[in-house]
Amino acid sequence: MADTPEAIKKSVRTYMFVGGILFLGTIITVLVASVEALDVGQHGFDKWDCILGLAIATIKASLVAFIFMHLNHEKKAVYWLFASGLCMVCSLAGLTALAIFDPIHDPLFFGKESTTPKILASPSLR
Amino acid sequence: MEIPYVVTPRKDTGLFNSKIAIWLFLASEVMLFGGFFSAYVFLRLGADYPWPERTLPVLPGLINTFVLIGSSVTVVFAWASLKLRNWRMFQLFMGITVFCALIFMVLKGIEYNVKFHHQAVRLKDYTVMEGHLSYEKELDHNGNKVEENLIFVEASKLTFNTRRFEKSWVEEVLTQAGHHGSKIVLSADIAVVTKEGQPAEVIAKAGEPLSVDLLRRVEKTRLAAASHNSALRTESLREEWVKAHAAHPGKKDWQIASGVNIDTAALAPKLLTEVSTVAFNVDPPARLDFKPRDIKEADGQSRLRDDTVVDGKLLASPMGFHYVDAIDFQHLVMKAKEKGIDPEVAIENSWLIKNSPFAKEAWEWHQGEVAKLKERLLKDYGLDKSGNPKRVPTHKELYRIGWKDFAKKGEQQHGIKLSTMDSLKEEFMGPNYDARNPQGDDTHVEGGHAKETFPHFSLPREQIGFAAKFTPAWNTYYAIYFTITGLHGLHVIGGALVLAYYLFFGRKMYLENPEWLANRVEIGGLFWHFVDLVWIFVFPILYLM
Repeated sequence: MADTPEAIKKSVRTYMFVGGILFLGTIITVLVASVEALDVGQHGFDKWDCILGLAIATIKASLVAFIFMHLNHEKKAVYWLFASGLCMVCSLAGLTALAIFDPIHDPLFFGKESTTPKILASPSLR
Repeated sequence: MEIPYVVTPRKDTGLFNSKIAIWLFLASEVMLFGGFFSAYVFLRLGADYPWPERTLPVLPGLINTFVLIGSSVTVVFAWASLKLRNWRMFQLFMGITVFCALIFMVLKGIEYNVKFHHQAVRLKDYTVMEGHLSYEKELDHNGNKVEENLIFVEASKLTFNTRRFEKSWVEEVLTQAGHHGSKIVLSADIAVVTKEGQPAEVIAKAGEPLSVDLLRRVEKTRLAAASHNSALRTESLREEWVKAHAAHPGKKDWQIASGVNIDTAALAPKLLTEVSTVAFNVDPPARLDFKPRDIKEADGQSRLRDDTVVDGKLLASPMGFHYVDAIDFQHLVMKAKEKGIDPEVAIENSWLIKNSPFAKEAWEWHQGEVAKLKERLLKDYGLDKSGNPKRVPTHKELYRIGWKDFAKKGEQQHGIKLSTMDSLKEEFMGPNYDARNPQGDDTHVEGGHAKETFPHFSLPREQIGFAAKFTPAWNTYYAIYFTITGLHGLHVIGGALVLAYYLFFGRKMYLENPEWLANRVEIGGLFWHFVDLVWIFVFPILYLM
C-alpha cells in the first residue's frame, strides 16, 4: 500500500489513468452497441455482443478492484475473503445451471424442445 | 475506552480491524448481487415471451456510468488528500463524490418515474400496445383525475362479506350511488339468534340504508356467534372422545377416530346465527366504477377483491389511450411461429390491424421501412457463402413499431420535427407528446388523418389480456430490472450518507487522529468502489443487451 507521501502522489497519477481507461471502456461499450459499423457478429444484439460487452465490463471491474480497491497489493486475508465470496456465487449459479440436466424439466424452459440443451440457442440470445 | 487496531494493523491479519470487516461485508455483497445477476441470466434464458432487448434509454444510463466512475476517482483522491494531510482538498473531492451520488439518484428517479406513468397492455392475441392513458371526463369525488381505465357496472344489488368488507370501498360505493341519486338499502330483514335457546331477533330491517356501522354491527354478531359456536363444537367433540375412549378401552386414537363425530342434530338448537353475507338493493340501479385491479368483472355478476358481489350489467369499459406510442407484434409472432403460422399472416389477421386504421397504416409504413433496411443491409454487407444476406434486421426491428419509429413516421408524413434540445429531453423523459401532436387533443381522428404522431385509441375491455404500468408486474424483465437497480440505488444512498458524514463531521477526528479518519475514508471508499463495480455490470446487462 502506498503510505509515503511520494508513493501516494505517484499512485494519484495511476488513479487518473485508470479513471480515463474506465471512461474509454464505457464509451467503447456504448459505441459497439449503438453504431452499426462497429457491431460485432450478426446485425443487432447477439452472443458476440454479449461476450464483448461482458469482457469489457470485466476488464473495467478488475481495474476498479485491483487499482481503486488496492487488491493489487493487499494482505492474504482480504484475498481469501473476496475469493470465497466469488467462489460461492459461481458454485451457486453453477448448481442452478445443472437444472438443464434435470430429466423432468419443462422442455420449453430453455426456449426449445431439443433434448440437448443449447443455452445460446435460446430466442433471447439467438 | 480506546478501540484497538483502528490505526495500527493486527499482527495475525496484517490489517486494521475495520478493513477485515468491510471485506467480509463486501464478500457477502458479492454473493447478494451475484445471486441477482444469475437470476437475471436464468430469467432471460427461460423467458416465454420476447425479452425486451435494448429497451431502456441509453443516455441517462451512460451519464450515470460516467458519474459513478468519476465519483470512484474522486473518492480515492479524497482518501489520498487525507493521507497527505490536505483537509481542503479532501473536502473538495469528497464534496464532488457526494454530489455525483445525488446526480445519480436524480437521474434514476426520472427513469423510474417515466416507467411508473407508462402503460402497457397485452391484447388477447398477444399484440402489445404501449402509451399513456387519457383521463376520464369526470374527476373523482375527491377532485382527482382518474385514468380512463375503469370498469363500469350498472349495479342493482351488492352483497357484502361481513368479515372481509373494505370500509373505504363501502364509503366509495355510497358516494358514487349518491352522485347518481340512487339509494342502497338492505334487501331483507336480518334475523339472528344472539342468545342460546332464544328465538331469532331482527337486528336490521329491510330498507335500512347501507352504512359501515350497519356492516360492523352484523360483523360483531357474527364474530360473537362464531366464538360461541366453536366453543360448543370443541366441547362437544371433547365429550365424544371421552365417550369413545370409554367404549373402546385399549384402542389407539387413530383406530377409533373415524367413529368420533359431533352430534350436529343435538348441537343445532344451541347454535347462534353466523351471518356471512348481507345483500343490499341499489335503487334505482346505478353506474358504479371500479379500478381493474379491484374487480373480477363479468356480465351479470362481478366480484370485488374484498369478496363483495356486485350484481348488474357490465357496461362498456374501454381502456382509453391518450397516446399510443408503441405497437409490438413480437409476442404475437412468437406465438404464431409456435403454431406454425406465418408471422405476416398472423399480424394481418390480428385484432388491432383489423380494427384500427391507424395501426394498419403504421404497420404498412413500418413494412416499407423494414424493406428499406433489408435492402441497405444487403447493399452494405452482401451475401455469405451460402447466398444468404450476411446481415438481416433483428426480430425487434421486424415486428416492433417503437416510439422513435412513430416519431420518424410523424416527421416523414406531417413534417413534425423537434428542436435538438427537445429531442435530447426526449432521451430522458420519453416522447414529447404535446410537441409531436401539435394540433392537441381535439383533432384525434381514428385512422391517423390528423397531423399527429401518436394516435388516440380506445381499447375495448374484452380485448385486454393483461395490462400494467412498466412496473415489476409487467414482466420478469422489469421485475429483475427494478430489483437490481433498486437495490443498487439503496447502496448508492447508503454509501453517500456515510461519505457525507465523513465530509461534514470528520473535522474533529481529522484534528485529533488524522490517520484514523483516513482509514475510515478508505473503508467508505472501498464500499463506494464496490457500488461502482456493480454498476459497471448493471449498465451493459440491463441497458445494452
